[in-house]
Amino acid sequence: MADEIKNIASLDRLIHQPARLAIMAVLSACESADFTYLLNATGLSKGNLSAHLSKLEEGSYVAIVKSFKGKYPNTSCSLTVAGRRAFNTYWKQYLALAQHLEKQETPSVSPYP
Amino acid sequence: MALPDVDKLIRQTRQYEFSDGLRDLQMAVLLGIGGMTVWLSLEPMWITFVGNMVKVFGRWAAWVNMLPVFLAPLAVLGTLGLMNTLRRRWLWRESGIVKSSRWIVPRRVNVLSAVILLAGLALGFGLRYLGQVDDSFVLRMLWAATGWAFGYTLVGVGRHISLSRYIWLGVVGGLISTVVLFLPLTFGQTSLIFGSAWCLLLATSGIVTLRRALLSVRGQ
Repeated sequence: MADEIKNIASLDRLIHQPARLAIMAVLSACESADFTYLLNATGLSKGNLSAHLSKLEEGSYVAIVKSFKGKYPNTSCSLTVAGRRAFNTYWKQYLALAQHLEKQETPSVSPYP
Repeated sequence: MALPDVDKLIRQTRQYEFSDGLRDLQMAVLLGIGGMTVWLSLEPMWITFVGNMVKVFGRWAAWVNMLPVFLAPLAVLGTLGLMNTLRRRWLWRESGIVKSSRWIVPRRVNVLSAVILLAGLALGFGLRYLGQVDDSFVLRMLWAATGWAFGYTLVGVGRHISLSRYIWLGVVGGLISTVVLFLPLTFGQTSLIFGSAWCLLLATSGIVTLRRALLSVRGQ
Protein backbone atom coordinates (compact mmCIF):
# COMPACT_ATOMS: atom_id res chain seq x y z
CA MET A 1 0.00 0.00 0.00
CA ALA A 2 2.84 2.36 0.91
CA ASP A 3 4.33 1.83 -2.55
CA GLU A 4 1.10 2.83 -4.28
CA ILE A 5 0.84 5.98 -2.18
CA LYS A 6 4.45 6.75 -3.08
CA ASN A 7 3.65 6.17 -6.78
CA ILE A 8 0.63 8.45 -6.66
CA ALA A 9 2.62 11.11 -4.85
CA SER A 10 5.41 10.92 -7.41
CA LEU A 11 3.07 11.67 -10.35
CA ASP A 12 3.97 15.01 -11.90
CA ARG A 13 1.24 17.36 -10.63
CA LEU A 14 1.83 19.89 -13.38
CA ILE A 15 0.85 17.25 -15.96
CA HIS A 16 -1.72 15.38 -13.87
CA GLN A 17 -4.34 18.14 -14.24
CA PRO A 18 -6.76 16.86 -16.98
CA ALA A 19 -6.60 19.93 -19.25
CA ARG A 20 -2.80 20.06 -19.13
CA LEU A 21 -2.61 16.28 -19.65
CA ALA A 22 -4.69 16.70 -22.82
CA ILE A 23 -2.40 19.49 -24.07
CA MET A 24 0.72 17.44 -23.30
CA ALA A 25 -0.78 14.36 -25.02
CA VAL A 26 -1.49 16.31 -28.21
CA LEU A 27 1.95 17.95 -28.27
CA SER A 28 3.70 14.63 -27.55
CA ALA A 29 2.30 13.26 -30.83
CA CYS A 30 3.73 15.99 -33.07
CA GLU A 31 6.60 18.40 -33.44
CA SER A 32 4.38 21.45 -32.92
CA ALA A 33 0.72 22.44 -33.04
CA ASP A 34 -0.88 25.84 -33.24
CA PHE A 35 -3.36 27.35 -30.79
CA THR A 36 -6.35 26.62 -33.07
CA TYR A 37 -5.55 22.92 -33.29
CA LEU A 38 -5.07 22.65 -29.52
CA LEU A 39 -8.38 24.46 -29.04
CA ASN A 40 -10.22 21.98 -31.30
CA ALA A 41 -8.45 18.88 -30.01
CA THR A 42 -8.80 19.54 -26.30
CA GLY A 43 -12.21 21.24 -26.35
CA LEU A 44 -11.02 23.91 -23.91
CA SER A 45 -12.06 27.55 -24.06
CA LYS A 46 -9.53 30.11 -25.36
CA GLY A 47 -8.93 31.57 -21.90
CA ASN A 48 -8.55 28.17 -20.26
CA LEU A 49 -6.17 26.91 -22.92
CA SER A 50 -4.10 30.07 -22.71
CA ALA A 51 -3.86 29.83 -18.90
CA HIS A 52 -2.82 26.16 -18.96
CA LEU A 53 -0.28 26.78 -21.72
CA SER A 54 1.24 29.57 -19.64
CA LYS A 55 1.56 27.22 -16.66
CA LEU A 56 3.23 24.57 -18.81
CA GLU A 57 5.54 27.22 -20.26
CA GLU A 58 6.45 28.38 -16.75
CA GLY A 59 7.32 24.79 -15.89
CA SER A 60 9.58 24.67 -19.01
CA TYR A 61 7.51 21.85 -20.48
CA VAL A 62 6.15 23.80 -23.45
CA ALA A 63 7.78 26.31 -25.79
CA ILE A 64 5.49 28.94 -27.31
CA VAL A 65 6.39 30.86 -30.45
CA LYS A 66 4.21 33.79 -31.54
CA SER A 67 4.48 34.92 -35.15
CA PHE A 68 2.49 36.25 -38.08
CA LYS A 69 1.35 34.09 -41.00
CA GLY A 70 0.53 36.71 -43.58
CA LYS A 71 -1.80 39.14 -41.82
CA TYR A 72 -2.88 36.74 -39.10
CA PRO A 73 -1.16 36.09 -35.75
CA ASN A 74 -0.15 32.51 -35.13
CA THR A 75 0.78 30.85 -31.84
CA SER A 76 2.76 27.65 -32.24
CA CYS A 77 3.33 25.35 -29.27
CA SER A 78 5.75 22.46 -28.89
CA LEU A 79 7.08 20.26 -26.11
CA THR A 80 10.56 21.00 -24.85
CA VAL A 81 13.00 18.12 -24.31
CA ALA A 82 12.23 18.29 -20.59
CA GLY A 83 8.50 18.34 -21.36
CA ARG A 84 8.70 15.29 -23.60
CA ARG A 85 10.73 13.41 -20.99
CA ALA A 86 8.33 14.43 -18.21
CA PHE A 87 5.29 13.33 -20.24
CA ASN A 88 6.83 9.94 -21.04
CA THR A 89 7.72 9.38 -17.38
CA TYR A 90 4.27 10.51 -16.25
CA TRP A 91 2.47 8.23 -18.73
CA LYS A 92 4.57 5.21 -17.79
CA GLN A 93 3.90 5.79 -14.08
CA TYR A 94 0.21 6.35 -14.74
CA LEU A 95 -0.18 3.16 -16.78
CA ALA A 96 1.73 1.11 -14.18
CA LEU A 97 -0.48 2.48 -11.43
CA ALA A 98 -3.66 1.86 -13.41
CA GLN A 99 -2.55 -1.71 -14.10
CA HIS A 100 -1.76 -2.27 -10.43
CA LEU A 101 -5.14 -0.96 -9.29
CA GLU A 102 -6.90 -3.07 -11.90
CA LYS A 103 -5.15 -6.18 -10.56
CA GLN A 104 -6.24 -5.36 -7.03
CA GLU A 105 -9.84 -4.94 -8.13
CA THR A 106 -10.02 -8.42 -9.68
CA PRO A 107 -9.29 -11.08 -7.00
CA SER A 108 -6.80 -13.70 -8.15
CA VAL A 109 -8.70 -16.54 -6.38
CA SER A 110 -12.44 -16.74 -6.75
CA PRO A 111 -14.22 -16.56 -3.38
CA TYR A 112 -16.91 -18.84 -4.77
CA PRO A 113 -16.48 -22.61 -4.97
CA MET B 1 -13.04 18.04 -16.37
CA ALA B 2 -12.81 14.25 -16.61
CA LEU B 3 -9.49 12.57 -17.38
CA PRO B 4 -8.90 12.92 -21.15
CA ASP B 5 -8.58 9.95 -23.48
CA VAL B 6 -4.84 10.30 -23.96
CA ASP B 7 -4.54 7.44 -26.48
CA LYS B 8 -7.28 8.96 -28.63
CA LEU B 9 -5.67 12.43 -28.56
CA ILE B 10 -2.29 10.99 -29.56
CA ARG B 11 -3.86 8.87 -32.32
CA GLN B 12 -5.89 11.78 -33.73
CA THR B 13 -2.87 14.09 -33.78
CA ARG B 14 -0.69 11.49 -35.50
CA GLN B 15 -3.41 10.80 -38.09
CA TYR B 16 -3.98 14.50 -38.78
CA GLU B 17 -1.05 14.70 -41.21
CA PHE B 18 -2.70 12.03 -43.37
CA SER B 19 -6.32 13.11 -42.89
CA ASP B 20 -6.58 15.13 -46.12
CA GLY B 21 -4.95 12.65 -48.51
CA LEU B 22 -2.32 15.16 -49.71
CA ARG B 23 0.52 12.93 -48.46
CA ASP B 24 -0.88 10.07 -50.58
CA LEU B 25 -0.99 12.37 -53.61
CA GLN B 26 2.58 13.52 -52.96
CA MET B 27 3.80 9.91 -52.85
CA ALA B 28 1.78 9.16 -56.00
CA VAL B 29 3.48 12.01 -57.88
CA LEU B 30 6.93 10.95 -56.67
CA LEU B 31 6.51 7.28 -57.62
CA GLY B 32 4.81 8.12 -60.91
CA ILE B 33 7.55 10.52 -61.97
CA GLY B 34 10.27 8.21 -60.64
CA GLY B 35 9.03 5.26 -62.70
CA MET B 36 8.48 7.40 -65.77
CA THR B 37 11.92 9.05 -65.68
CA VAL B 38 13.75 5.72 -65.34
CA TRP B 39 11.75 4.36 -68.28
CA LEU B 40 12.35 7.51 -70.34
CA SER B 41 16.09 7.65 -69.69
CA LEU B 42 16.43 4.04 -70.95
CA GLU B 43 14.26 4.53 -74.03
CA PRO B 44 16.08 4.72 -77.41
CA MET B 45 13.65 7.49 -78.37
CA TRP B 46 14.96 9.72 -75.54
CA ILE B 47 18.60 8.92 -76.28
CA THR B 48 18.03 9.87 -79.94
CA PHE B 49 16.29 13.07 -78.84
CA VAL B 50 19.25 14.06 -76.63
CA GLY B 51 21.65 13.22 -79.48
CA ASN B 52 19.71 15.48 -81.86
CA MET B 53 19.68 18.28 -79.29
CA VAL B 54 23.47 18.05 -78.99
CA LYS B 55 23.82 18.15 -82.77
CA VAL B 56 21.63 21.26 -83.08
CA PHE B 57 22.54 23.26 -79.93
CA GLY B 58 26.05 22.02 -79.11
CA ARG B 59 27.39 19.92 -76.26
CA TRP B 60 25.69 22.05 -73.57
CA ALA B 61 22.41 20.55 -74.71
CA ALA B 62 23.60 17.25 -73.18
CA TRP B 63 22.44 18.70 -69.86
CA VAL B 64 18.92 17.86 -71.03
CA ASN B 65 19.93 14.30 -70.21
CA MET B 66 20.06 15.32 -66.55
CA LEU B 67 16.45 16.48 -66.63
CA PRO B 68 15.02 13.16 -65.35
CA VAL B 69 17.46 13.26 -62.40
CA PHE B 70 16.21 16.67 -61.24
CA LEU B 71 12.56 16.04 -62.06
CA ALA B 72 11.79 13.86 -59.02
CA PRO B 73 13.32 16.23 -56.38
CA LEU B 74 11.65 19.18 -58.10
CA ALA B 75 8.32 17.35 -57.99
CA VAL B 76 8.78 16.64 -54.27
CA LEU B 77 9.57 20.29 -53.50
CA GLY B 78 6.73 21.49 -55.72
CA THR B 79 4.12 19.22 -54.17
CA LEU B 80 5.39 20.06 -50.67
CA GLY B 81 4.95 23.79 -51.33
CA LEU B 82 1.53 23.25 -52.87
CA MET B 83 0.49 21.02 -49.97
CA ASN B 84 1.52 23.61 -47.35
CA THR B 85 -0.29 26.41 -49.19
CA LEU B 86 -3.49 24.39 -49.61
CA ARG B 87 -3.47 23.41 -45.94
CA ARG B 88 -2.70 26.88 -44.60
CA ARG B 89 -5.20 28.71 -46.79
CA TRP B 90 -7.99 26.20 -46.95
CA LEU B 91 -7.92 22.71 -45.49
CA TRP B 92 -6.41 23.45 -42.07
CA ARG B 93 -7.51 27.08 -41.71
CA GLU B 94 -10.34 26.25 -39.33
CA SER B 95 -8.98 23.11 -37.69
CA GLY B 96 -5.44 24.35 -36.99
CA ILE B 97 -1.93 23.57 -38.17
CA VAL B 98 0.13 20.65 -36.93
CA LYS B 99 3.75 19.99 -37.81
CA SER B 100 4.08 16.22 -37.69
CA SER B 101 6.95 14.45 -35.93
CA ARG B 102 10.16 14.20 -37.91
CA TRP B 103 10.29 10.43 -37.39
CA ILE B 104 6.79 9.50 -38.43
CA VAL B 105 8.05 6.09 -39.56
CA PRO B 106 9.17 4.10 -36.49
CA ARG B 107 12.86 3.14 -36.58
CA ARG B 108 11.99 -0.57 -36.33
CA VAL B 109 9.89 -0.27 -39.51
CA ASN B 110 12.71 1.54 -41.34
CA VAL B 111 15.18 -1.19 -40.40
CA LEU B 112 12.82 -4.00 -41.42
CA SER B 113 12.08 -2.25 -44.73
CA ALA B 114 15.80 -2.13 -45.48
CA VAL B 115 16.07 -5.83 -44.55
CA ILE B 116 13.15 -6.67 -46.92
CA LEU B 117 14.82 -4.72 -49.74
CA LEU B 118 18.18 -6.43 -49.22
CA ALA B 119 16.58 -9.88 -48.81
CA GLY B 120 14.67 -9.38 -52.07
CA LEU B 121 17.82 -8.41 -53.92
CA ALA B 122 19.75 -11.31 -52.36
CA LEU B 123 16.98 -13.69 -53.49
CA GLY B 124 17.18 -12.33 -57.04
CA PHE B 125 20.96 -12.64 -57.21
CA GLY B 126 20.82 -16.06 -55.50
CA LEU B 127 18.34 -17.44 -58.03
CA ARG B 128 20.44 -15.99 -60.88
CA TYR B 129 23.56 -17.60 -59.44
CA LEU B 130 21.75 -20.96 -59.34
CA GLY B 131 20.70 -20.45 -62.95
CA GLN B 132 16.98 -20.56 -62.14
CA VAL B 133 16.23 -17.13 -63.65
CA ASP B 134 17.63 -14.76 -66.30
CA ASP B 135 19.23 -11.31 -65.89
CA SER B 136 15.99 -9.43 -66.53
CA PHE B 137 14.40 -11.18 -63.53
CA VAL B 138 17.15 -9.77 -61.28
CA LEU B 139 16.48 -6.27 -62.65
CA ARG B 140 12.73 -6.68 -62.18
CA MET B 141 13.43 -7.89 -58.64
CA LEU B 142 14.95 -4.46 -57.96
CA TRP B 143 11.51 -2.89 -58.37
CA ALA B 144 9.62 -5.73 -56.72
CA ALA B 145 11.84 -5.57 -53.61
CA THR B 146 11.48 -1.77 -53.56
CA GLY B 147 7.70 -2.22 -53.71
CA TRP B 148 7.71 -4.78 -50.89
CA ALA B 149 9.86 -2.55 -48.71
CA PHE B 150 7.71 0.51 -49.44
CA GLY B 151 4.52 -1.53 -48.91
CA TYR B 152 5.85 -2.74 -45.56
CA THR B 153 6.68 0.87 -44.60
CA LEU B 154 3.09 1.88 -45.35
CA VAL B 155 1.77 -1.05 -43.29
CA GLY B 156 4.13 -0.08 -40.45
CA VAL B 157 3.02 3.56 -40.52
CA GLY B 158 -0.63 2.46 -40.74
CA ARG B 159 -0.24 0.28 -37.68
CA HIS B 160 1.75 2.93 -35.79
CA ILE B 161 -0.89 5.62 -36.26
CA SER B 162 -3.88 3.22 -36.45
CA LEU B 163 -4.76 4.16 -40.02
CA SER B 164 -6.28 1.16 -41.80
CA ARG B 165 -6.10 2.93 -45.20
CA TYR B 166 -2.31 2.70 -45.16
CA ILE B 167 -2.34 -0.97 -44.15
CA TRP B 168 -4.52 -1.75 -47.19
CA LEU B 169 -2.39 0.43 -49.48
CA GLY B 170 0.74 -1.38 -48.30
CA VAL B 171 -0.75 -4.84 -48.83
CA VAL B 172 -2.20 -4.08 -52.28
CA GLY B 173 1.00 -2.28 -53.34
CA GLY B 174 3.05 -5.27 -52.21
CA LEU B 175 0.87 -7.59 -54.29
CA ILE B 176 1.21 -5.31 -57.34
CA SER B 177 4.98 -5.36 -56.90
CA THR B 178 4.89 -9.18 -56.88
CA VAL B 179 2.87 -9.22 -60.12
CA VAL B 180 5.40 -6.83 -61.74
CA LEU B 181 8.14 -9.33 -60.94
CA PHE B 182 6.59 -12.00 -63.16
CA LEU B 183 5.72 -9.83 -66.17
CA PRO B 184 7.96 -10.51 -69.20
CA LEU B 185 9.18 -6.89 -69.49
CA THR B 186 12.45 -5.00 -69.81
CA PHE B 187 13.83 -3.00 -66.87
CA GLY B 188 12.58 0.29 -68.33
CA GLN B 189 9.09 -1.04 -68.99
CA THR B 190 8.97 -2.57 -65.49
CA SER B 191 9.86 0.86 -64.05
CA LEU B 192 7.01 2.47 -65.95
CA ILE B 193 4.45 -0.20 -64.95
CA PHE B 194 5.64 -0.22 -61.33
CA GLY B 195 5.58 3.58 -61.00
CA SER B 196 2.23 3.91 -62.77
CA ALA B 197 0.57 1.18 -60.71
CA TRP B 198 1.74 2.64 -57.38
CA CYS B 199 0.86 6.14 -58.61
CA LEU B 200 -2.66 5.05 -59.54
CA LEU B 201 -3.16 3.25 -56.22
CA LEU B 202 -1.93 6.16 -54.08
CA ALA B 203 -3.66 8.79 -56.22
CA THR B 204 -7.00 6.97 -55.88
CA SER B 205 -6.60 6.82 -52.12
CA GLY B 206 -5.48 10.46 -52.00
CA ILE B 207 -8.35 11.75 -54.15
CA VAL B 208 -11.00 9.85 -52.17
CA THR B 209 -9.55 11.11 -48.85
CA LEU B 210 -9.13 14.68 -50.16
CA ARG B 211 -12.75 14.72 -51.38
CA ARG B 212 -13.90 13.64 -47.92
CA ALA B 213 -11.71 16.33 -46.29
CA LEU B 214 -13.03 19.04 -48.65
CA LEU B 215 -16.62 18.06 -47.92
CA SER B 216 -15.95 18.30 -44.18
CA VAL B 217 -14.28 21.73 -44.65
CA ARG B 218 -17.33 22.92 -46.60
CA GLY B 219 -19.57 21.64 -43.81
CA GLN B 220 -17.69 23.63 -41.15
